[in-house]
This record gives sequence, C-alpha cells and structure tokens, in this order.
Amino acid sequence: MSCIRLAALCLAMSAMAGCQQPDPGADQSEKVYRHAIDGAPSSLDPAHADNVYAATLVKNLFDTLYRYKYLERPYELTPNLAEGFPEVSEDGLVYRIRLRDDARFADDPAFPDARGRPVTAQDVVYSMKRHFMDETRSRGAWLWRDRIAGLEDGVEITDPEQPVSGLQAVDERTIRIELTEAFPQFTHTLAMALSAIVPREAVEHYGQEFGVRPVGSGPFVLERFDQSLAVLEPNPHFDRGTIQLDEEGYDADRHAGYGLAAINGKPYPLLDRLEIHFITEPTARWSSFESSRGVDVVMVPPEMADRVLETRQPLSLQPSIRERYHSLTGLEAGFVFHGFNMANPAIGYNDDPQRERRNRELRCAMRDAFDWSAKNKAFYHGLGRVFAGVIPPLLDSHDPQVAENSIAHRPERAKERLQAAVWQGESLPRLTYGLEASVQQRQMFEQFRAWMQAVGFPPGHFQPRPFASFGEYARAIGQRELDIFLLGWTLAYPDAQYALQLFYGPNAAPGANSMNYANPEFDRLYERAASMRAGPDRTRLYRRLNRMVIDDCVIIGSLARTRLHLWKRHVRMLPDREMVGGFFLRFVDVSDDRP
Amino acid sequence: MKAGERSSRFLARRLFSAVPLLLGVTLISFTLTVHFGPDPAWEQLGRNPTPEQIQQVRHTMGQDRPFPLRYAGYLVNLARLDLGHSYASGEPVLDILLRTVPVSLLLVAPGFLLGIVLALVLALAAAWRPHGHLDRFCDLASATGMSLSLVIIVIALQAVFGVWLDWFPVRGWRLDGPVDYLEHAAVPTMALIAANMGYNLRFFRAVFRDVLADPPVRTARAYGFRARRIATGYVLRAAAPPILTRVMVAIPLIVISGSLIIESHFGIPGVGLVTWNAVMSGDQPVLMAVVSFSSILFVLALTATDLLTGLLDPRSRSA
Repeated sequence: MSCIRLAALCLAMSAMAGCQQPDPGADQSEKVYRHAIDGAPSSLDPAHADNVYAATLVKNLFDTLYRYKYLERPYELTPNLAEGFPEVSEDGLVYRIRLRDDARFADDPAFPDARGRPVTAQDVVYSMKRHFMDETRSRGAWLWRDRIAGLEDGVEITDPEQPVSGLQAVDERTIRIELTEAFPQFTHTLAMALSAIVPREAVEHYGQEFGVRPVGSGPFVLERFDQSLAVLEPNPHFDRGTIQLDEEGYDADRHAGYGLAAINGKPYPLLDRLEIHFITEPTARWSSFESSRGVDVVMVPPEMADRVLETRQPLSLQPSIRERYHSLTGLEAGFVFHGFNMANPAIGYNDDPQRERRNRELRCAMRDAFDWSAKNKAFYHGLGRVFAGVIPPLLDSHDPQVAENSIAHRPERAKERLQAAVWQGESLPRLTYGLEASVQQRQMFEQFRAWMQAVGFPPGHFQPRPFASFGEYARAIGQRELDIFLLGWTLAYPDAQYALQLFYGPNAAPGANSMNYANPEFDRLYERAASMRAGPDRTRLYRRLNRMVIDDCVIIGSLARTRLHLWKRHVRMLPDREMVGGFFLRFVDVSDDRP
Repeated sequence: MKAGERSSRFLARRLFSAVPLLLGVTLISFTLTVHFGPDPAWEQLGRNPTPEQIQQVRHTMGQDRPFPLRYAGYLVNLARLDLGHSYASGEPVLDILLRTVPVSLLLVAPGFLLGIVLALVLALAAAWRPHGHLDRFCDLASATGMSLSLVIIVIALQAVFGVWLDWFPVRGWRLDGPVDYLEHAAVPTMALIAANMGYNLRFFRAVFRDVLADPPVRTARAYGFRARRIATGYVLRAAAPPILTRVMVAIPLIVISGSLIIESHFGIPGVGLVTWNAVMSGDQPVLMAVVSFSSILFVLALTATDLLTGLLDPRSRSA
C-alpha cells in the first residue's frame, strides 16, 4: 500500500503546486510575451530559413539589411542594419549600401574573450557568399544566383576569401553589389530571413551546429530552443534608438483600440522574455490560448472558426470573443491552387498540335468543372478569397478587372468544351492526382473527383497518389510524377514577380515552375517585367502575364486564405505572419494589467 | 554449477544471440528508410532547385553511394557511437538523444508506474471477487479506457485542468524544480494513466483470475490462510512472469520512443517528437539512431525479463 500512498501524495502535491500558481518560469515583474506558431523550425541558420517558422526566429536573432515597416500597409521597406536605402546606379545594376555604425554581434564563446564585435561590410559579403558554399546547403542561393555578377550558375565558392566580382566590401561599412541585370526587387531580397547577416567566427566555431547555436546581431538572443519552444531574451548590444510610430506607418484611426500609442518613443525590444511556442495541433493551440498561463496569441485555425465567428459575411466575431480579445483579419500574402503538369503529353504540351489544342480544352474543362465556392466553404470555412490567376489581392498589381470565368463553377461549359474537343468517356486520359496523406487532402481529392465525374470523367480516371510528407510530395512534383497537384505559394516579398516566376520556363521542375509551363512569349515578357521599376507599365505587364496563365489553363486557381488573429488584451501589438513576419516581435509590449 | 555462474552464462548466451537479431533489425530498418522513406535531399533544397543542385546535395549527403557501403558505414559508426549529425538541424544525434530521452523518461515514467500499480491493485481486488461491484466497475472502466482515443483523453484533460479549472499549464515543460516538474507532468500523467488503464486492467485481471483458480490457492483458502498472505505469498508471485514480461517490454518504448501524442499535444520536447519529425523529414541519422537503440533496449529488456522470470519461476529456468 505504500506505493499507493506515495502516488496519492505526489498527485496531491502536484495539485497543490499547480492550483492558481503564478508562472514559475517568469518573474512576475518581467514583461513576457508568449507567441504561438503552427510549426517548428528545425534549423535557425539563416541559410535554411526559407519557411515562416525559421524566419520568425531568424529575423529576431539576426539582422537583415532591410525590414518592413511595422504598421504600414501595403508593405513598405525600411532600413534595418543598413543606414539608409541603397544608392542604385542609373542602369539599376550597382548597389552601394552603407551599414549602421552601432550594430554588434551578441556575446558568444565563438568570439575572442566571448565578446561580440561590430558588424562589418565583410560580414555581409561573407553571409551572401556562404549561400554558394557546398557545406552550407543553402536554401536561398537561388535568390541571387545569376543575378549577382560572379555568382552565375555553376559557380561554387570553395573558400570564403574567394573573390566575387559583384560582391565587395568597399570599406568597413560599405558594400558594393553589382547585378548582372536590373532587378528592382533586389532590395526586397535583403529583407528576407535568408539574407540575415552571420559572423564567420560563429559559423566556423559551431560548424553544422550553427543551426541550433545561432549568433547574430538581432534584437534578441536565444536562451532555449527545442521542438516545442524557443525562449529569447533581449540582446544587450542591440540599440536602435526609440520607436517612432509615425515612421512605422502608425495611423491613429486604423490602429485605434490596440494601445499601440503607448510604445511610441520607447527603446526596443520592449520585452524581457519572448517565448515562441511551436504548436502544430489546432486544438492544443486553442486550449493553450484559452488558458491563463498559455500563449498570448492565436491564428484561428479554420476548424475553430465556428467557435469565434458570429457571421462570415461580413466577418464578425462572437461578442464574448470581442470582449476578451483583440482581433485582426487579413488575407495571406500567398495563395493555393491546383497545377497541371504541362510536360505530360497526355494533358499538356504535345508534338501533335491538334492534340495540344484538345489538351488545352481538357484542362479548361476541368477548371470549369471545379467549384471554388464549395471548396472554400468545405475547407476554408468560407473565409478564403477566390481570385482569378496568380496575383493575390494583397498586391497593388492584383487585377480586379480580370474576367472571373476561370474561377466560376460552370459544369455545362465544361461538358461543351469536352464535347467540342472530342473528349468522352474512356478516351479521356488517366491522370495521377498527388496529395499529402491526410484526411483533409483525401477529402479534397474526393470532392475534386466528384466534380470531374459530374462532367463525364469515368470514376477510375483519377488515381490518387498520397505522400507521407511534404518533402516527398515536392520530390514527386519536382520529378514530374504527378499530373494534378495542390500547391500553396507564399510571397517572400510584395511583388507579383515572385508569383509569376512560377510560370517562367527556365524555372521548370524541379524548379519553382512545377507546372513546366513553357511559353516563350511569357518568358520574354516576364524577363522584361522583372527588370522594370514599379509603375503603371510594369503593372500592365504583370496583368498581361497573369492573363496568359489564365488563358492557357495552366492552373485551377486561386484562393487566398484569410488570417484571423486573436490576442489577449494586455498585449500591445499588431501581429503579422506575412512580410513583416517575425519583425513585429521587437515592437510587442505587455501592459502591467496582465491577468 | 553455481547459480551466479549459470546466470552469467545465460546472460552471455542471450547477448551473443542478440547480435544477429540486431543486425537483422538494423538492416531492415536501414533498407526501409533508404528505399521507402522520404528522400532527405529534397528536404534540404530551396524553392527553385536545378537538377545539378539536387545531385550536389545528394552527393554531399552521401546519398549517391552504393547501398552496401552506406549500410556498412552506418554499422561502423554505430559501433563507435558516432551517430552523426541531424540532417535537419545539424545538431549531433547523440546530443539530441541525451537531451530528449531524459525528458521522455521523466514525462512518461510517473504515468507508467502509477498506472501499473493502480491497475494491479484494482485487477487483484476485482479478480478476488468475480462479478462483484468492483469487478463490474473494472469491466466498464477497461472497456471505456480501451475505446477512448488518447487524443480525446488529452484534449478533455487539457480543457478541464488547464482551461476550466486552470490548475495546471495546458502545455510546456520546465524543470526548474520539483514543483515545476510536478506541475507540468501532472496532466500528461493523468492522460497516460487513463489511456493505459483499460488494457492493463483487463490483462492483469485475467492473469489474476487464472492464478486464483490454481489448486494451491484453493488449498490455502481451505487452510484458512488470510487473504493478504495468499495474495502476497502466492498470487502475486505466480502472476509475476506474464505481468513482468508486459511491463519490461514496454520499457524500451518509454525510454526511446516516448509518447508522440503526449509530447506533441503538451509541447514536451521528448524523443517521441524528435522521432516523428525525423520520420516525416527523412532525417536518417536521427531515425536510425532511435531504431538501433530501441532494438538494443528491447534485447536487453527481454534478457532481463528472462532472468527475472527464472528467479521467480524455477520451471522456466529448467526449460
């Protein structure tokens, strides 16, 4: 019986300890903010930070030359580690960037005497060069390959001292970058987590472990990092003056009620401790948010929409939710779509011009048979925004005038197309539909198959092929094994070029052009648009490219998901998962009236 | 031959016979991971890879080497305890295991031990009086326990103790002191007890019923021995081998595999979560380390079970 007594004692002690105790991990006078994201990064090396999870941390542990203004919408760049905007030559090829003189790396044993040193232009050059070193296994080299002189395709950096003609440290604080052709989006790439500045000493000191022992000059340093939590504390060397809300895009009307005015004029970061919880399960995320000691923010998953929404059109929250939490809704900087593999002669390009025309009709018919409205209701709780093409509504170049035929559910039109192109019954090709192995993806497939059957496809003509992980799914798409696949694409910077590169011929699979779209006219116009400065001419060109994608029925799309953020009332912030991403965390404040 | 010498020989024989078993398990696991698992090279690539870059990554990771060479290299490294670095994070695999295995142990051990003790007590009491109130309750409890998914149990306990009563943290893991530990382990422990109770109760009760139907128990009862003496002097001892086997075989699972659902829902950085991530991303060094150590622990657990069973039951020793 002694075991039972011991067990009872343990449980009782545990219960007593747990009952309404303050959070033991934090001093009550400390300003602690608990952020939540729906996935965990595996590496915090900036060279691997091509996903939102890693980027959220990397942007806080390291510095990028530029960042996006906290509150300005549409998104606008502002200098970060750079002293100002780059001086760009008349032809748009040469960039001169001057660094701030007060940036220092955090203290770390990797440095002599474990004291962080100032960030120099050499660090910027090294950080970009290492993307082209084999051992880095960079996920970001593609951003600058062929764009920076001396880093053309096939060039490999074997030694950090190896000179690169287009990448030079002019002096301690000045970098000169020469591009092979004008690329106005270049400055945006310098705000991506992939471009964050790393110290060579730390990379060499920690080797492969740099991904879990990051050393940077960002506003925070890493205190703890595992699969479920990252704890960050302020970097004592980080001193960027005080917050100037006007310069961050503050608008008293638009931001009324969030309590943001209170942070104006304060030095940042404002927190003593930043916890980032990685919670993949929606129910666990929600339970944690509802708990008094749980996370302070949640991006409401579609499964939970019924619990928080009163109406969808217009979108309004339940009164109890409105009363307890701050909220913010907005469209994602990205979209989901179904792509066709144009490299498959059964559905895409074909040596026989007549068959190629019939294939186009086939793809267009499948698009007509597709019901975005039903999909939005079934899987995105009616909160997504369906739009024609691939330039999402968040961008200035989004085309509201484009005909919506491509996103309308027109089964009769689909049947007419099939009939006109002499497609019927068994003559229709058998196609492989790729999906990640999950209940939701399977349901999406069944819904898709039902729509296709309704316009005349025999039931067995769509073969589902499930994959256990996204990596495997991406491999199959990259190796052109799938005919139809669902993909999501998140913009790394607010420019349609980032979306349109999905259809650029030289990017064909295994590159980003998973559809293997090959249209010389599209490529020519894309190349022209990519080197143009922002303006009406470029917008016209972008919209023309968008219409080409629609006319050729390369995809069935698209839908931008709605982000619905809720956060506790004692937290002063405006969360963002898109361009501002992790950058906003340095401006988060916690009021003294934390429950 | 002395008993100690006999045991040593037995142990040596068991460990020696485990070598082919280990080789077989690692070969099958390695083959499955390499040929049927996710291609780790694709997990390492950026958004716009060229075929040359894919080949380069595969070469850097040694994915383009012949299978026998890769397997041999893996065995040599395993023997030297050089488990390599995680493909995903770059962290040494040994460090990952040393960091996460203790977490899983601390997380799962209380629920595992308390669950077994509780189930043993209830099962013995229920078996002692078949068809009594407690027996019927155990029937109901075991059926309910076996029917409920662990996920549902976890969600319900989180809602009750973390949100509604607000007694314990909904998730997280801190080890700043015993109070922290108890606070963070309390709800997962309850979940583990609830999830395993059904199976344990049913199994233990069936074992006790068999033992209680044995002639020696009847004889002891006929002699008027007290219930406590019968229970401790005979029933528990006779029931020990099957119960011990069940418990010992479960230990490697706790030590090395953790509990994915518990760790994932409670945000606990244990080895279960690491293993799951490794499976999904094709992180072969981590995955193979977990598989190898699981196999070794299984062999050790089975050997220990045989030794203990031999001590408890002389019949099995002679067999």
